[in-house]
Amino acid sequence: MEIAGATQPSPEDALAAVAALRRLADRVEDDAVGRALGDGWTWPRIAEALGVTKQAVHKKHAKRLREAGGV
Amino acid sequence: MFERFTRDARRVVVQAADVEAAALGAQTVEAEHLLLALSDTIGVAHATLVEALEAETAASLDAVGVVLRPPPPAPRRGSMRMGASAKLALHRSLQAALARKDRRIGAEHLALGVLQAEVGTVPRALALAGLDREAIAAGL
Repeated sequence: MEIAGATQPSPEDALAAVAALRRLADRVEDDAVGRALGDGWTWPRIAEALGVTKQAVHKKHAKRLREAGGV
Repeated sequence: MFERFTRDARRVVVQAADVEAAALGAQTVEAEHLLLALSDTIGVAHATLVEALEAETAASLDAVGVVLRPPPPAPRRGSMRMGASAKLALHRSLQAALARKDRRIGAEHLALGVLQAEVGTVPRALALAGLDREAIAAGL
């Protein structure tokens, strides 16, 4: 894969970037799932939008959001 | 393995999970959260480590030309799984204790385990902050 504007990074930099992107993706997901639920989205709809099973999204987020007092 | 941990080492693991990983909104406890919890043990200011980790993320993304403005971390609560990097660090701390013929695993062994990683977020963050990983480990 080529990323626009980037010269070829070293394997170490590229691997670290993947790790950083995963961390940020997790953060964006947490935020988006919480807001979708707040907007009245159902778990199956959130799961479909994320491209994962509803069991997966529920397992990953339900407990967290319940403990945060959101749901 | 946890039954071999000293009280200090247990406190480090609990802080890594309940304070450091939670504050950063992480989904799993990783080696960098152990590192933050070990700031006193390794004698590096907590704020310095936080800045180093932020710099590491920014530098890594920059290296592949990714410009992102993610939402600020939302603190998490509740139990969190240990991620792969933390499990590896804990395994290495056990090895470090065995190598020194120490019966208990203390905070200094946890630090040795975390500092042993040659690749990944922790060594990159330390290098970016100008901190000598091997020198810190040698002082433990």
